[in-house]
Amino acid sequence: MIEFEGWLLDLFEDRDDGLVLYAMARDGGRHRLTTAFPVTFYALGKNTALRSLWKYLRKAYPFVRLSRTSRMDVFVRDEAPVLAITVPKPSDLYRVFHEVENRYPSLDYADVDVSISLRFAAATGAYPLARCHFEVDEAGLLLHVRPLESPWKIDMEPLPFTSMYIAPNVNPHHKKPHYIRAVIHPRVYRLGLSDWSSTLITLRRVIHRFDPDLIITRWGDTWLLPLLMEKSEELDIDLGLNREVGRQPKILEARTYFSYGQIIHRGQQVHLFGRLHIDRRNAVSWGDYDLEGAIETCRVTALPLQTSARVSPGTGISSIEILTALRSGVLVPYQKQQAEILKPVDTLYSADQGGMVYQPLIGLHHNVAMIDFTSMYPAILVNKNISPETILPLGKGGSPVPNLGFAIDNRVEGLIPRALRPLLEKRIEIKRRLLILDKWADETEGYARRASSLKWLLVVCFGYLGYRNAKFGQIEAHQAITAYSREALLLSKEIAEDMGYEVIHMYVDGLWVRHPDRTTPEDIFPLIDEIERRTELPIALDGIYKWVVFVGSRNNKNRPVANRYFGVFQSGEIKVRGIDARRHDCASYVREAQLRIIKMLAKSDDPAETLPGAVDYLKRHIRALQRGEIDLESLIVRQRLSRELDAYRSPPPAARAAMQLAEAGKVISPGQKVAFIHTLGKPGVVAWDLPGQPDPRTVDVARYKSLLLRAAGIVLESWGLDEDQLRRLMVTNLRQLRLPHWQLKPINQHQTQ
Amino acid sequence: MGRTLPSATQNLHSQEGSLSRFRRALRRRDQLVLDDLFDAAYKHIAAVAYAANLMPFESYLLCMLLEEHKAVMRLQNEVAELKDRHD
Repeated sequence: MIEFEGWLLDLFEDRDDGLVLYAMARDGGRHRLTTAFPVTFYALGKNTALRSLWKYLRKAYPFVRLSRTSRMDVFVRDEAPVLAITVPKPSDLYRVFHEVENRYPSLDYADVDVSISLRFAAATGAYPLARCHFEVDEAGLLLHVRPLESPWKIDMEPLPFTSMYIAPNVNPHHKKPHYIRAVIHPRVYRLGLSDWSSTLITLRRVIHRFDPDLIITRWGDTWLLPLLMEKSEELDIDLGLNREVGRQPKILEARTYFSYGQIIHRGQQVHLFGRLHIDRRNAVSWGDYDLEGAIETCRVTALPLQTSARVSPGTGISSIEILTALRSGVLVPYQKQQAEILKPVDTLYSADQGGMVYQPLIGLHHNVAMIDFTSMYPAILVNKNISPETILPLGKGGSPVPNLGFAIDNRVEGLIPRALRPLLEKRIEIKRRLLILDKWADETEGYARRASSLKWLLVVCFGYLGYRNAKFGQIEAHQAITAYSREALLLSKEIAEDMGYEVIHMYVDGLWVRHPDRTTPEDIFPLIDEIERRTELPIALDGIYKWVVFVGSRNNKNRPVANRYFGVFQSGEIKVRGIDARRHDCASYVREAQLRIIKMLAKSDDPAETLPGAVDYLKRHIRALQRGEIDLESLIVRQRLSRELDAYRSPPPAARAAMQLAEAGKVISPGQKVAFIHTLGKPGVVAWDLPGQPDPRTVDVARYKSLLLRAAGIVLESWGLDEDQLRRLMVTNLRQLRLPHWQLKPINQHQTQ
Repeated sequence: MGRTLPSATQNLHSQEGSLSRFRRALRRRDQLVLDDLFDAAYKHIAAVAYAANLMPFESYLLCMLLEEHKAVMRLQNEVAELKDRHD
């Protein structure tokens, strides 16, 4: 027997060996381990049907192990009698299950579509990238594995990855790349794309020599790896992208889906076996949290890194819940048959609401304190014990949910709070450390990235309770959380008003309040303490704004909309939400100008004094555009395509650009973004990803000017300069603008008469 | 997303839309006043939603009244102040 300590790199099913694991030993060795790993699924239903199923399985699949037992069904809130069906190898499961499901469609099934890494983590405690103690026999058969660290531990040893980075020199979906760069620190290889056989031979040599654990690419999923695989087959040069011999990398098709009111496109994926591949361009929120965040997600969700880096946070949360269910003997439903509790129509009206969203007082406000509840929905979920099995109809005990016709059973901690509590606590602890750490300390960046990845998981854990396809989703749980959140926010409003504050705005988990005399953090703390005491939820001061402007709706500026504001904190930090500078579909030419003007206002003690400077700047910025001094790249507008091209009746610019691309042979699916430039004449746009550069003389200057002035007007309006006035000022004599702000008004009046 | 009922904002939009024939037949200057009244309703959508009244239009009328009365009170105060100053 061999024993060693190391990290669990990857695991996957194998038809012959059952389960294959790759481990990185502390001494530098890499090991392929195997184990048979029998897996179990359950059938539930009428006794006669279960008996008949037993008899059928005995005959048809003699290798299957059967037993009658009981497991917890959260939707029935009780133990349910089940038939446990255990197959000797994971790869047998679907074969047996499909046959069973076809023959016995009236039965319910559980623990069927559960990822193998979750099953392994539930059975052994060893999750992907965990540091473990391995016991193995001479043939590589895994005898025992024991994790040495909990995934909830904050500081873990760095992983001893050998990593390799490969990327083409340019975005291959935009231009034809000339070479690819391969980097294994400190070596850099530049591989030309004209002589494929020499490129592949070099690449093969590099991979064999350094044997990387992790391959990080750009466009590896959608372009590079599929191309390398194609060329390697064509020229019969085996690259060894996989460590696992005799397997091809797995290609998962691209897909488009609808989520949170948006059409999302997820590109094709290439997964390796025995090595890990991450495409930075196709990884979820990579920009926010980088490799550290991806590793954090992998460990807490127990999904292999290649999967966890690419799946939505919803799948991550679902995995954490499934893992908790497997460990505590709770059935993981295969197809959930769960209906909403019958409610009278007025209760339904009360229940079917989201968070409390106020309409802010439009305009400029000084000394506004912004306070927000920390991870509000997860905190409610955990503190109020909200879970499918803790929801009770009224009259059956428990504590009633405000204004809804049901109650919460607090006698035992529910499955969902149990699953999410450690996640919430870990994020709060990392955030706490970040608060006391110096901004430039070594750990700060890593902590920030990990906190960000955990934040994404927590953000969606609430939505997942209401999602009908979620394994443990239940609409009442979802409604209870928002009901508690509205209660907490209204209670906070009342507390603030009792203490003499004016509430400027409230948005789901945050309040903007102003008090004539309380303008420092110390002044605000009594309010925070009182809210925390009465709502029993953690709340913190985000900061105090020197000034903040709430902007009206795009279509009618007298109508307030939530979450459209900009302002500057007392610390000098600027916060911008909802206006052009934060919109993804805004050209950087416009975005930068708007941000620059906000910065000018923020820096000054009297923002009104900066107006002539701002107007000057806008004039120069427009002149630069007219003279063709602005890079075409900063005029690019990126918009998401929301439907198929032939479904548009009057296609918007993004669709017209996509049509040009379609003609050039590049297909854009709904959910993908299209980059384009506004141009003169028809069709009014040129797609950026067409071959060749657009002619700078065709840029629709008037259009960009109008977008710019609209964006500037939104910002300057509170100081007396709206879009219309700016438009007029752009044609008046520059010298007049040295006038102080109050003298600008008469010009306007004069011109409107 | 995932809602059984339209949100309060969607509801207000559709209520406003359902009055389009009424609005069309008004004089232009009255149309603008009507729009102004609706601006008042938009300011209190959160309260309308929270009230969850089965007949939300009653709540919208109340919002309009509320803003009207605020204006009246403001004007009353101003008149009183002007009177004080005058006396």
